[in-house]
Amino acid sequence: MKIGLNRKATNYLLLFLAIIFVFILPLFLKSPTYLQIMILLFFYAYLTTSWNLVGGFAGVLPLGHSAFVGIGAYTSTILYLHYGLSPWIGMFAGGLLAALVGVIIGKPTFQMRGAYFALTTIAIGEGIRVMVENINKIGPFTVNGPRGLLIPLTGTSFVNFQFLSKIPYYYIILTMLIIVLGITYIISRRRIGYYLAGGGEEPEAAQALGVNVAKYKLIAMAISCFLTALAGTFYAQLMLYFYPKGILGLDLSFEIAFIALIGGRGTIAGPILGALVLRPVNEFSRIYLSGFLPGLHLVIFGLILIIVMIYLPRGLQEPLSKVYNWFADKLVASFSFKGAEKG
Amino acid sequence: MLLAPSKPFLRNRVKEVIMDLILQATVNGILMGSIYGLTALGLTLIFGVIKVINFAHGSLLMVGMYTAYWLILLTGINPYLALIVVVPLLFFFGYYMQEIVIKPVFKAERDVREPITVIIVTTGVWYVLDNLSLILFGAEYRVVKTSLSGKTFLLGELIVSTPKFYGFVATIVTAVLLYWFLKKTRMGKAIMATSFDRDAASLMGINQYRIYNIAFGIGTATAGVAGCVLIPFYYVFPTVGVIFDIRCFIIVVLGGLGSIHGAVLGGIIIGVIESVFAQFMASTWTEGIIYAIFILILFIKPSGLFGARQDW
Repeated sequence: MKIGLNRKATNYLLLFLAIIFVFILPLFLKSPTYLQIMILLFFYAYLTTSWNLVGGFAGVLPLGHSAFVGIGAYTSTILYLHYGLSPWIGMFAGGLLAALVGVIIGKPTFQMRGAYFALTTIAIGEGIRVMVENINKIGPFTVNGPRGLLIPLTGTSFVNFQFLSKIPYYYIILTMLIIVLGITYIISRRRIGYYLAGGGEEPEAAQALGVNVAKYKLIAMAISCFLTALAGTFYAQLMLYFYPKGILGLDLSFEIAFIALIGGRGTIAGPILGALVLRPVNEFSRIYLSGFLPGLHLVIFGLILIIVMIYLPRGLQEPLSKVYNWFADKLVASFSFKGAEKG
Repeated sequence: MLLAPSKPFLRNRVKEVIMDLILQATVNGILMGSIYGLTALGLTLIFGVIKVINFAHGSLLMVGMYTAYWLILLTGINPYLALIVVVPLLFFFGYYMQEIVIKPVFKAERDVREPITVIIVTTGVWYVLDNLSLILFGAEYRVVKTSLSGKTFLLGELIVSTPKFYGFVATIVTAVLLYWFLKKTRMGKAIMATSFDRDAASLMGINQYRIYNIAFGIGTATAGVAGCVLIPFYYVFPTVGVIFDIRCFIIVVLGGLGSIHGAVLGGIIIGVIESVFAQFMASTWTEGIIYAIFILILFIKPSGLFGARQDW
């Protein structure tokens, strides 16, 4: 009897091993600093995967996604501070609000192309930031303008979404990331995924075939905004403090787009690869170099971006998936060989 | 009840003061706005020819400002004489930036009308330039004292800042020169032809990539002019470009992408709005108003005030 591994089984096995690895990682990673780096890595991978639903599959370039991160963070925090509503519920309230805002913004903007779309999303994102920075109170709710909001410390409490240790945050964002990757995978395999890809590449051709491109783009936008806002609540609870420039700023929007583009937009692995490459560069150069060379990490960021765009316009996933395929093929070959011997 | 005095002559006096205030703010707005327009000229030219929004434009302005700053600080020459050095320098800077960084990406995406990848590359250039200058020059706001700093003259009852007025003059001169160059010279005509139809222009024997380099160079050189003009009354710091970047995008869309007089008029409109509204509300809100106007224009008339109707 031949005990072999086929390619599909190898893929599942390697994926399973990777998931086991990230789940047991906190057992070895004792330092809170490294845990925080991992948490932020997953956080950015999550944000970028959500962005990718619009920016990758729908083929447009949104550069204002931090607005939805901010909507999520502000909604859940304001509801928590005023009504004591658990951030777990506030999270979904923020998500729904972000989805609504996303649809309102998307309806007119999806008619635009390329540069206009990118500029509009920047203007809307920055407009929301300016508004939040200038408002101290909306009705009974304190927004606190440019000073941002502080969430009072209550100690470890699941209902309040607060933990003194970093480990629960690690597992929460990891679960969120796996769920959002699952959603992306399902969308890319379903009809909506094909419609989006078609509408992104050749809108006229897709429309001629009877695809309602605008409708599917709006659905993608709503899902993307909803998911992005959930991450906003997570960030608020992780840091317990946030302010408009940080969470609603242009920098965050651009970083999300950069990670996607460097990893490879419109692919499932792209955002993760992008985050795996860029986040450590960002964190370590910030820790070790910013003392005497401020801004160096952003120079490296820009250079990586330029070089990747010149030599690998489809992102890092292209060469890396070749390496992966080669490795998986080798693995299959060597295992089938051993299996044949045993049989 | 300060604003509603009961006596009629007092009421008239208040009205007069407010009118003066608005008039003064309008003049300041026109002058500052024309300089915004000057910075937007290069952006609109680059977009018109290459069909790419150059996100690094503000950073190129920053490079121009730092060049002018060091030149004036070290040699003490008149800021407008610095133009002779800064403009050619910036031209070559833009020329080679396009040649080395943007052209390869462009060639890879030749058949796309508006290549998104190129937008991203210019964003990368923006990050590199801004942060390199942060490393080289530090984050402090720098001011250089010139013979013009703080000088004003009276125009009727209005106070006009001399360096801003020269900036206004420089804007008009640059715009007219650019117009003349594009309409009357051989090279300008080649640039116009490429902007209308790059394939047809190539078939006529125009080397489109060289045209792109030159257009990019000219766009950067106008940013250099703006840099020199700004130096006598503005401060330089590594992220100064971002302030102008967003305004330039708004101006260029308002005036119509690719339109030269649109950029100048759009700049003046934005400058006046900013300066007049700032008299009545917190100046942080004026930024919000500008964004709101921008979004309205995009939804109502995306081709802008003077732009040609295009399919993008």
